[in-house]
Amino acid sequence: MTTKKLIEQIEGEANIYFDMKDGVVDFATVAFPHFRGLESILKGKNIMDALVITPRVCGICGHAHLMATVRAIEDAYKNAGETVVLNEKIEKIREFTLVMEIIQNHFKWIYLTIIPSLAKLSKSEDIQTPLKGAFGASLATKALAIFAGQWPHSSYMIPGGVTTDPTNIEILKAQSYVEELISFYEKEALGLSLEKFLNLESCTEFNTLEGDIRDLEKALVKEEMNKKGFSHDRFLVLGKHNYTVPSKLKQTRVFSVDAKYVEDVTTYSPKEKSYAKNAQYKNEYYETGPLSRMMAIGFPIVKNMHRRFKDSAYSRVMARVFELAYLLKHSKSLLQSISIDQPSYLKTADINKLTASGRGVVEAPRGPLIHEIDIKDGLIQKYKIITPTQFNIGSSQKPSLTPAQKAMTGLTQEEALFVFRTFDVCSVCTTH
Amino acid sequence: MHSKQDKRPTLLWIQGVTCNGNTHSFLNLPNIDQLLVKFRLLHHPSLAGEYSFEDMAACRFKCDILIFEGAYDPLMKRGGVLLSKIVEHYAQTAGHIIGVGSCASFGGMFKASAPERNSGLIFNEEIEYGPLLKYKSKVINIAGCPAHPEWISYTLSMIAAGKKVQVDELHRPIELFSNLAHHGCIRNEYFEWKVDAVAFGKKEGCLFYEYGCRAPMTHASCNKILWNEVSSKTRVGTPCFGCTEPDFPRQNLFSTKKNMSIPVDVPIGVPKRSYLTLTGIAKAFHIQRLEGKLIDYKKTD
Amino acid sequence: MARMTKEERRGGIISASLKLFAEKGFYITTIPDIAEKVGMSVGSFYNYFTSKDILAKELVMYISEYLGRKIRNINEKDISTERKIYEIVSMYFNMANEKPEMIEYFLRVYLSNREVFGEGCEGMICVSPFVTEMMILFEEGVSSKDLHNQDFFSAFGLFMGYLGGMVFLFGEKILSEPLEYYKESISQNIYNALKTR
Repeated sequence: MTTKKLIEQIEGEANIYFDMKDGVVDFATVAFPHFRGLESILKGKNIMDALVITPRVCGICGHAHLMATVRAIEDAYKNAGETVVLNEKIEKIREFTLVMEIIQNHFKWIYLTIIPSLAKLSKSEDIQTPLKGAFGASLATKALAIFAGQWPHSSYMIPGGVTTDPTNIEILKAQSYVEELISFYEKEALGLSLEKFLNLESCTEFNTLEGDIRDLEKALVKEEMNKKGFSHDRFLVLGKHNYTVPSKLKQTRVFSVDAKYVEDVTTYSPKEKSYAKNAQYKNEYYETGPLSRMMAIGFPIVKNMHRRFKDSAYSRVMARVFELAYLLKHSKSLLQSISIDQPSYLKTADINKLTASGRGVVEAPRGPLIHEIDIKDGLIQKYKIITPTQFNIGSSQKPSLTPAQKAMTGLTQEEALFVFRTFDVCSVCTTH
Repeated sequence: MHSKQDKRPTLLWIQGVTCNGNTHSFLNLPNIDQLLVKFRLLHHPSLAGEYSFEDMAACRFKCDILIFEGAYDPLMKRGGVLLSKIVEHYAQTAGHIIGVGSCASFGGMFKASAPERNSGLIFNEEIEYGPLLKYKSKVINIAGCPAHPEWISYTLSMIAAGKKVQVDELHRPIELFSNLAHHGCIRNEYFEWKVDAVAFGKKEGCLFYEYGCRAPMTHASCNKILWNEVSSKTRVGTPCFGCTEPDFPRQNLFSTKKNMSIPVDVPIGVPKRSYLTLTGIAKAFHIQRLEGKLIDYKKTD
Repeated sequence: MARMTKEERRGGIISASLKLFAEKGFYITTIPDIAEKVGMSVGSFYNYFTSKDILAKELVMYISEYLGRKIRNINEKDISTERKIYEIVSMYFNMANEKPEMIEYFLRVYLSNREVFGEGCEGMICVSPFVTEMMILFEEGVSSKDLHNQDFFSAFGLFMGYLGGMVFLFGEKILSEPLEYYKESISQNIYNALKTR
């Protein structure tokens, strides 16, 4: 007997089909029912237009798409023997805005998704405060928009640089938003200074927390999420940034990686047509996103958590809480070190004469985002997008389960639905 | 959550073919709490409402204000129910229907997913067409990709206060769309004196002649009501792509279409002859202040 | 004889000076020469133009406006770009026959004495009405797909350089045939060089 569940309040729409056995999930498949066809919309257009079109793949992580496009074009230049060398200023501004988008995502996920779904699971009567998430996110996007002009849907990154040429006024303004955001996170979420929070060494120290995260952590333990929602214990990070270490991990063993080994395979969705494809690395499924990134950089408290609770739903949620704090600190140091006297843009060779292929890889909020392009005389011949949710929430046949399928197995339906959300589902990206 | 005495207008937000960009744009609204208390939120894609997604798809209730995000695809299903059925059900009795974003207004980006059938609610690009034509007088289009949160807030607040929202021929609120994106651009002086930008990434120069800026041809108040309260595309040196107009997305967005070096499109309402006369004259002058760098950091030690 | 209006007297100065400049050259012609030709005192001449340089600029504007008006009439006709080109060539050659002093002045004085036309006549200011109409001709030609898209000055230079060269040869009495004879072949050559490929 299969039960169908509509998943709401994610990015877009998804349906899960549960095969139950003895009251727990024996097997689950996932369908993403909506088709949008952006890859075919891109075909034949000038490659520069992709800078405007791909951010519109996704309302919550469009900036990551913009960066993936820019990196893919710059990679194509490199492959054509016209390497684009970026200066520190360009790299730092781009990274700052990308990080701000991740931060807004995490704020929303914590307050609009995870806390309410956990409350639903534990039948808690606590008053929900989703607008705290919106407020935190809006501060992050203000800081982002100072450089990018707007969020969502900016196109300020271009091959060879960025369109913006900030003065110290913009830098100071962005710094003040980041400071405000840090205070807000400390006061509302942590009840502890950011510095102290980042220096916690063991999960046993979480009782020093006082804010919303304390309640979240308690509720996770109460629902035994530290013993549930285990996936393959394999992690993948592909995007190269100052806050990541591209690598794959099997448990705690670290291996080097190359995005060229990523492939997408057909989804197994027997009950409903799904427009998603599953992403694999060398024929294996890996979990991607904050837990993977924090494991790859060897962040002490996350490693401690992993030692105790492996890749449980608990670790997945808490890693994201820590990544948010880690990225807030990182964004501060990025702003401090931007040299405004460097050029914002370095002229590239004529793009209308560019004939080459390229691959852009970025760590988006949910993990590696890959754009692959073939360009002929500046026109798009082929555009292929692989998104993080395709790694985490594919739908496959036994025995080779995707991370989300594996994590839901053996749980009650209610628990499984919560665990599903710990991956931070982006349906719109998945069915690009 | 609400009592029978709750007289606030009810609000429903549903989606067609979309990227969720308008939903996320809306969440950026400063003081969103002050706006939301004016309404009973029945259902929203990311904020908790009184009814679930399944209730919404099953058409189990009615609303005073219907917000629609995304392109309309008559064959699309939401929660297993045809979107055409859902939209008709709620539109029939709603007092106001708001299309948020250019997809809902004109088809926009996701018209291209299925160009032969996707459209906006009452327009397919600038042609009157769409599922809600018979309710056209109730429809307000907040065009933009995405719609600006304060534009959405303005429209909802006017409705909540019982005030009439005057609209243009494309059903966009006149108070928001009588401006051009060009108004308030901090590069206006470069446009006036025809000092063209020579590259991206510079504070100086106008993006109209070389880099495809559509601001003088685009109805929008982006440079009056700033994005995220801080900036706009042209303020950070990105050309305006004309995302509030029915022809968005156009092609070759980063370059200006020219015939024999003459821009094909000139500012709205300005005869080409007048534009060219003025341009020829303005270009004759060389104004040092505008041709030099605004700030030279290398010089200031 | 009815008394002339100020405007008419001004027009008289313009046509007289154009003729003198064409006959004797710009530098040799003096204000007394011009005053004498129109039959006014040097003092009253200054009521119309305060210097020879200012008169020189006014003359360029006058010719540019005249040409601009003529081309605009052609531009506004509902005819093909090929036909418009013929009519412009024809108009220009007619002008060279009927009002040679205007074309002479334009070619010899304006283009070869740029120092006189510095301040107040920079770039296209004094020739704006004429150049604007050429822009309209080209822009509409491309948008109606009659002409191929290229840089404005590549096309403008080809068009005006060609016509100017022919009028120069005509003025030097080198041409074996009257200008009329060349209208058809020259407008065909121009059109062939500019048309859609």
